[in-house]
Amino acid sequence: MLFQGLVGLSEAMYLWLVAAGLSLIFGVMRVLNFAHGSLYMLGAYFAWVAFRVSGSFWVALLAGPLVVAAVGWAMEFGFLRRVYSAPEAFQLLLTFAFVLMLDDAVKLLFGPVYQSPPTPAALSGAVLIGHSILPTYHLFILGVGVLVGLGLWVLLWKTSFGLVIRATAADREMARALGVRAARLFTWVFVLGAWLAGLGGALSMPVRAISPGMGEFIIIEAFVVVVLGGLGSLRGAFVGSLLIGLLHAYGLLFMPVFELALGYMAMALVLIVRPWGLFGIREG
Amino acid sequence: MAPRRGATRRRFLKSTALAVAGLGLPRALGAATADLKLKKPIKIGCQTILSGPLGGYGEFMRKGATLATEEINAQGGIGGSPIEISFRDEELKVDVGVKNARYFVDDWGADFLIGIDSSAVALAVGEIMPSLNRVLIVTHGATEKYNEDLVFKRHVRQCFRVCVPVYQDGIASALVAKDLPVKRWATISPDYEYGHTSWKMFRAYLKRFKPDVEFVGESFAKFGTVDFSSHISKVMGLSPEGIFSTEWGGEAVTMVKQAKLFKVFEQTKAFMIGMGAAMDVLQGLGADYPDGVWASGRYYFGYPDSAENKRFNDAFHKRWNTYPSYPSETAYTALQALKKAVEKARSVETEKVIEALEGLELDRPAGKCVIRKEDHQAVYAVPWGQIRHDPKFPMPTLTNLKVFTADEYYRKPPFAPVEG
Repeated sequence: MLFQGLVGLSEAMYLWLVAAGLSLIFGVMRVLNFAHGSLYMLGAYFAWVAFRVSGSFWVALLAGPLVVAAVGWAMEFGFLRRVYSAPEAFQLLLTFAFVLMLDDAVKLLFGPVYQSPPTPAALSGAVLIGHSILPTYHLFILGVGVLVGLGLWVLLWKTSFGLVIRATAADREMARALGVRAARLFTWVFVLGAWLAGLGGALSMPVRAISPGMGEFIIIEAFVVVVLGGLGSLRGAFVGSLLIGLLHAYGLLFMPVFELALGYMAMALVLIVRPWGLFGIREG
Repeated sequence: MAPRRGATRRRFLKSTALAVAGLGLPRALGAATADLKLKKPIKIGCQTILSGPLGGYGEFMRKGATLATEEINAQGGIGGSPIEISFRDEELKVDVGVKNARYFVDDWGADFLIGIDSSAVALAVGEIMPSLNRVLIVTHGATEKYNEDLVFKRHVRQCFRVCVPVYQDGIASALVAKDLPVKRWATISPDYEYGHTSWKMFRAYLKRFKPDVEFVGESFAKFGTVDFSSHISKVMGLSPEGIFSTEWGGEAVTMVKQAKLFKVFEQTKAFMIGMGAAMDVLQGLGADYPDGVWASGRYYFGYPDSAENKRFNDAFHKRWNTYPSYPSETAYTALQALKKAVEKARSVETEKVIEALEGLELDRPAGKCVIRKEDHQAVYAVPWGQIRHDPKFPMPTLTNLKVFTADEYYRKPPFAPVEG
């Protein structure tokens, strides 16, 4: 019973990494990045390439997300910053265009066949919890998810960079008037968000089949999480991810027929009761 | 290899002629086969899944259909007319599948339709075939409702199928399972027509073969499942001795990898995957595929040991640098069947081709096969086997093949209801 919840939480960690970046980018830049799932996909593919070249999962885990961060930089610097002042629909269209282009680029470069390197030996063991077996990899994922959460908390609340991010998120005009160089800040935030998605993808590489289009499934769930937790709230993204993970795991156990709908029902409920999300800030 | 050289020269001459003079040139080059004097290509619309996590599947179908098209055209086409083939992404969605079929026939001018991966799409497109009045040959969607209800009971005569139905997943599997030391079975399967109907059939037939089996649990995963951990922990909580699964494509790859992490293969005595011997799964899992998993498909490249299968494998490998997956074989066969039927009927008219296809005998890569007149279902046998790692191949292969005759496991007209 409790074990099923633990498994659900471990599944939620991938979602959290994607949702964290999505929420961070929206909070600071007010851009809803549709292509965030594609960055997750790129993380998996780049990590796979790094694994093929180096033979080491750890090198892959380091290199994959860094390359995605570089792609994120190119996306922001080359394209997104040109549409910040455009209506939101244009921003959405641009990021959606990236979904299509990146999917096809991956298909052209790597082919449509599923890729899936073996799970690293050090993490392919398992621990006994009660009568149930939990893979070491799932524990590892839980650890990474929590660590990233702590890291983001330190970054946002204990550093001057975090202070600037929070100030800009709270009031963009005021921050700019006080001398914050928004353009450079936006680039860094986007790069950080891309890195987080890339990390999620790289972590999924040895345990989930990698294929073109794999980002499209996670981006929808990530949107649900971000709406649930409150747009722009990292705490919301974390709690939202865990909630979705638990709803999925326990939904399968107790009401498998409705399992698919549960996450969306939770989102609808939150939208009715607290339209700004569980941890979002009420605007106006 | 004189005939091959001849074929190549013919193709070269033909493409040159087409390039120089266009289609108006008298077609003396098609003399090798009966010339139907159609004065136009025969257009075939193929739809399959070409995007998303299951897109690797459709890619194999496209390769098989393309190879057949190239071979047939090199031999002078069908009745003197070259095949023109077009591919569209089915997306495994009913509305998209129906739209594709309408587009192929109404706008593109297709003479025949082939393909379709999803059972639900096969049923929906099957429904509109009388109004489109074209022959449809399904090459993957496997629900028994297609041949048993749509064709046999409701006489939708335009619908044919050249791949083995869920009898492979639900009945041949039960023939394997009855001899395994497993009493408690559970499933992790896709949450749609194919997954539900296979599990229902497996339970009904296994109970018949071995009355003391128990079915202790089930977890159905939606299309697009990227993580099977919760499904695995749910099912393992019921302590089954055997797992039956009809996950396929990238989802089968993910499921097996995660089951391995959860030590499912150490805790159970048998693991069966109906589509586990599909080439994309064999390649996708590679070294991670545990030895001994029971797997099958709608064709397995290593069976049968026949001249035609060897020729097909060689040609496919030469063309695409990979071994064929089963949708490659079924799509290849669909085009060969159309060639044979059209030349027999000496016409592309739907009614005449239907008559020619009924009872048609084929020597396909998967073996000798006959298209059953009553339900328009191709009857041939595909083995189940156990995964092993053979250093001679770049991917896992099957060993300990269990071969049943089609007569042993195909349901037959008038199709008594599956109880249970």
